[in-house]
Amino acid sequence: MQLRLEARSLAKYYSAIPAIRDVNLTLEAGTILGLLGPNGSGKSTTVSLVTGLREPSAGQILFNGRNIADNLADYKSRVGYVPEEAHLYTFLSGREQLELIGRLRRLPSALRTRKIMALLDLFGLIGAADQPISGYSKGMRQKILLVSALLHDPDVLILDEPESGLDLSASLVLRHLIPILAARGKLILYSSHVLDYVERLCASVVVLHRGRIVAEGPVPQLRAMMQRESSLEEIVAQLVTTVDPAGTATAIADLVALRA
Amino acid sequence: MSTEHTSAFRLVTALFLRRFVDNDLLSPHADRHESLAVLYACVVSLAVFVTFLLSTTYLSAFIQLPGTAALSALGDRFLYIGGSVTITALAALMAWDALALEPRDAAILGPLPIPARTITRAKLAAAIISGALLTVGLNAVPSVLYPLFLTLNIRGTQGSTVVRLIGGHAATVAMAGCFGFFGILALRGTLRLLLGERRFHRVSSGVQSVLVVGMVTGLLLVPTVRSHELQAWTMRTTPPAWAARPVLWYLAFNETVAGHLVCEIPVVLPPRFSSASYPKQEDRLARASYRLLLPRFAELAPLAWLALLGVTSVAFVTFLWTNRRYPGPSVSVLAQSRLGAWVRRLVERRTSEDPEAEAGFFFALQTLARSGPHRTIVAIAVAIGLTHMLIVLAQRQAPAVEPAAPLGAFGIAILLLASLLAGFSRAVAVPAEPAANWMIRSAWLGDDRRFLAGVKRAALAALVAVPLIVLLPLHVLLLGVVTALAHTLFALCFAILAMEALFLPYRKFPFACSYVPVENPKIVWPAALVGLLLVTYGYAGLERWALQTPARTTALGAALVVMVLFVKAVDRVWRRERRPIVFDDRPRQATQRLDLFEGVAIYE
Repeated sequence: MQLRLEARSLAKYYSAIPAIRDVNLTLEAGTILGLLGPNGSGKSTTVSLVTGLREPSAGQILFNGRNIADNLADYKSRVGYVPEEAHLYTFLSGREQLELIGRLRRLPSALRTRKIMALLDLFGLIGAADQPISGYSKGMRQKILLVSALLHDPDVLILDEPESGLDLSASLVLRHLIPILAARGKLILYSSHVLDYVERLCASVVVLHRGRIVAEGPVPQLRAMMQRESSLEEIVAQLVTTVDPAGTATAIADLVALRA
Repeated sequence: MSTEHTSAFRLVTALFLRRFVDNDLLSPHADRHESLAVLYACVVSLAVFVTFLLSTTYLSAFIQLPGTAALSALGDRFLYIGGSVTITALAALMAWDALALEPRDAAILGPLPIPARTITRAKLAAAIISGALLTVGLNAVPSVLYPLFLTLNIRGTQGSTVVRLIGGHAATVAMAGCFGFFGILALRGTLRLLLGERRFHRVSSGVQSVLVVGMVTGLLLVPTVRSHELQAWTMRTTPPAWAARPVLWYLAFNETVAGHLVCEIPVVLPPRFSSASYPKQEDRLARASYRLLLPRFAELAPLAWLALLGVTSVAFVTFLWTNRRYPGPSVSVLAQSRLGAWVRRLVERRTSEDPEAEAGFFFALQTLARSGPHRTIVAIAVAIGLTHMLIVLAQRQAPAVEPAAPLGAFGIAILLLASLLAGFSRAVAVPAEPAANWMIRSAWLGDDRRFLAGVKRAALAALVAVPLIVLLPLHVLLLGVVTALAHTLFALCFAILAMEALFLPYRKFPFACSYVPVENPKIVWPAALVGLLLVTYGYAGLERWALQTPARTTALGAALVVMVLFVKAVDRVWRRERRPIVFDDRPRQATQRLDLFEGVAIYE
């Protein structure tokens, strides 16, 4: 059966303040959907709803035609999630953290150990496996998050700024890994500010602005819509930027130069 | 210091002071100012309550004699001084990691154009101000009220005497508080200096826990010291307890500076008792006893100054030396002993079919051992049990005969286990790391029962089995081999029963939900303490009675097993219905608690 994840008319309010409204997304097997938008546009809220960590105030999320709220545990068992910020249990070592996640995801002991050791090795963390995470760099923490998300071979991968803090080689590995996983039938939602990445990886993108979708579709279609041959960065800038970037930059530089 | 540096120093000191309060400890939604106000109010009101409690004798006495008052005040002052030392030391221990520059200080303040020396001094200043504020809050009101109440019914007391008594009391408790605070700072600095950064980080948390146990035990034992014991310690007829010596130095300082004034007040009796000889004779005897102590007080008093000077100097020097550079990132490896590795393998083999229980077991042990707030809760629980054990052992007159063994001997293990399990039930409500809760929320698959079972097993292993094994030789000594073994088995059953009962209403995910503090601590905590003592001694009495004949022993054993099975069955039935777990429960705002919050709709 082809996997399909669909968000219909999602809305989320925090103390009556809307974070997102009327957001519709569709992820199909083998495709990578890019989620774009400026700070505060509602990307992280959308991601948290799609992971099942928060409940929408309105709308529903359907996984293979079923509302995820009907069997959230089953849905979560099929989701791998890399959040925007690398908050981990800093008193645990990298290996202990992954053991905890693997156990909670009911991975059999032998398979769990084998996967953890092999993935730590492939991500270049084996030497630091028994060090407490409090001593890890940002990139090392990000790698632990990636391993945590992949450990149980999820069907749905939700990646919120996954490249954040990674060194060049890990970044390149990730850039190759995501299309491979998509080709194996995974559903991938990729949220990022690095538009170059998104343009290379994602067949289709959704652009959020002030909690609403302002554009969606494959990048060539967006280009056609904007009636210009421009990069994704330029398209998104045109859609969501309300200020004049060059003018703002000049104003900042002028302000910085002020002296008493 | 230039004006710029002074301004930077003030700003950074204020930043560090805020961080002492905002220690990222519990709920991210907690109101810092409310928490601080409640904490400070607790400290001040406790001090005032103790003052009134101690003063009832003096306030209710129709004829208060100066000599007897001077003698009985020794015990009260020992309590104030001991409390000041231990509470300020505990406050310093709570902020143990914040007592030195941390990697985040380097990350936040390092890039700013502020000399490292200014940042180090600001940290020290913030530590001193925090200690001073606590000392003042703890001691200000009792310093005025206690001398006033003490002399209120002593006729012939002059105003200048009361003022001097207040001054002496305030100076003494302030010095004692500084000694406690700087003592911890000095100890930390010395260890850091001797061991180096890496080795210090390895032992730091262990040392902190041991010191918390020591200080809480000391704090709980201080009220048990009586005036006659102090007289014996002062006169060296019995050697003073090692830990009580510094308190004795400050007591001697107080008596030398002002305390002796009480003894010098002339006896003025009410007119209708002026010819009575008995009060005068009693007062003469008391004065003679007190005056015998004065030369020893004069010998001990300088030690108070010297000790304070010593610890302050060591604290300053070691602080400035060890913090002259920003700390580097920690690269330590989590060491595991052979025993630990063996236990780990054994547990993994036994629980490999139940990974969620395994997750609960290991995560509980790791959190209890490595997370600061959880270690502190366990340390306080151990201290309560240890205090009780020391009191019981001190009261033991003669080796007990098996059937009539003292009740306290049965209570040692029970109170320790009950205190540890009560502490554990609080510890599971504190998140291991609030920001990292999302990991468990996204990974767990909706059934918390297996995880909770693992958490309970971890508590049984670490907080029940280990203490019982450690206490077994003592029980053999107190109760004999057979009774000790039977008592250990019964204590194990009691612990399992207590654990199951404590967790019966628990509907959260251990260590992963936001912390919601107890809403009415002034009722809940005293009631819990009374309950702890009643349960402990009620059960200890029952067990002592049961162990007198084999039939009763069997009956108690069977009853315990039946009760354990019954509670487990009830637990299983109650948990059959799956209820959603609220991970982000928030404490109610003061406006809500006081019903000042109108029905405003909140959409989430």
